[in-house]
Amino acid sequence: MKFVEEFRDAELGRVLAGEIVAAVDPDRHYKLMEVCGGHTHSIYRYGIDDLLPDNVELVHGPGCPVCVIPMGRVDDGIAIARNEEVIFTCFGDMLRVPGSEQSLLEAKAEGADVRMVYSPLDALRLAKANPEREVVFFAIGFETTAPSTALTLMRAKAEGVPNFSCVCNHVTIVPPLRALLDSPDLRLDGFIGPGHVSTVVGARPFEFIPADYGKPVVISGFEPLDVLQTVLMILRQLGEGRCEVENQYTRVVPYEGNLRALQVMSEVFELRPHFEWRGLGFISQSALRLADAYAELDAERRFEVPNVRVADPKACQCGEVLKGVIKPWECKVFGTACTPEHAIGTCMVSPEGACAAYYNYGRFASEKAVV
Amino acid sequence: MEDLAPHCDHTTGCITCGDEAVPMEVVRVDAERGLALCEDGAANRSTVETALVEPVVRGERLLVHAGTAIARAA
Repeated sequence: MKFVEEFRDAELGRVLAGEIVAAVDPDRHYKLMEVCGGHTHSIYRYGIDDLLPDNVELVHGPGCPVCVIPMGRVDDGIAIARNEEVIFTCFGDMLRVPGSEQSLLEAKAEGADVRMVYSPLDALRLAKANPEREVVFFAIGFETTAPSTALTLMRAKAEGVPNFSCVCNHVTIVPPLRALLDSPDLRLDGFIGPGHVSTVVGARPFEFIPADYGKPVVISGFEPLDVLQTVLMILRQLGEGRCEVENQYTRVVPYEGNLRALQVMSEVFELRPHFEWRGLGFISQSALRLADAYAELDAERRFEVPNVRVADPKACQCGEVLKGVIKPWECKVFGTACTPEHAIGTCMVSPEGACAAYYNYGRFASEKAVV
Repeated sequence: MEDLAPHCDHTTGCITCGDEAVPMEVVRVDAERGLALCEDGAANRSTVETALVEPVVRGERLLVHAGTAIARAA
């Protein structure tokens, strides 16, 4: 497919890998964080880390929306799903995320009407087709997904669909990055910026990273050549003593983002004062809720929810993985008690989670493949 | 819409569910309803909300996430 195959060219990949080797200072160790779970997945799917010199370390960030959902929010969703009149809808990854007692999939096995949808608009269609039932959409995701939820809520309001509502778990990308940068236990040299979040928010929101923290950011596409070129651009900034936001993914990301998407989000959502992130704790103004004009579509106001904070299982080290402090294989339960089939932590549930990516591509230790 | 996605393959990732997006080509435009029929690289077709990138024309490439086009793939 155009714009896909040409970014997977092995020969060009080797050329880029050679340029990366030439760009590194052999006496320096580089720690680069890929913010987005999609990048983590690409890196292991295509073996990109095997093409990098040993002193260029990729650290996995908190950019998988499923991985950062705290158990209490899953419990809230299950409490709503247990209502007999409710058809509870969510994206596929959410089904297996463990709550304090069970996952949505287990609640479904016990009789709750939980269904997977590909888009919030599918949930709205389901509501229109089942006027005698309450259809609830469990919204999750960064700014990539939030506009889709916002458009759906605008449609539901305009068309007057009384039996549709939404549990809003949308999160925003900048506050957790600031929290990570303020974290004393993490030293990073640069960021591989999230490509698809940036199609919506643009590159400008990341300017605080070079300005306030002196670290380069390069917004990146998801194909292997995209990621390799991004690593090279970061290394060149570091080598030349530059520090700025660059956009490798210009074929998709405009510097200003998608203004229409930002507009619909600001009409439908408002910032929550606080939101709990798995592993990162409470971060102020880091998540969205429905604005008062959309209160009637807010499932958290329509249904009773426990709204209880639940601590993560003691054995689970998702927090350290999400902050890039440890590698997945360094977690005590990785690959033993915690596997994709029986996940304890969220990072193993979502295919974009760092643990699932390591597990699925056989990375059980620090060795690199020979290429 | 199905209960469980048969192609939600955990070894290759699930771009519908995660925070990623997929490039698709516009096959047919329904401007009145703000929708377009789009096709991905594997010839899977689906209806896409186009309100955030309008106007769209046949043959154009869009970046689609959760049923909504969020950008043009230049």
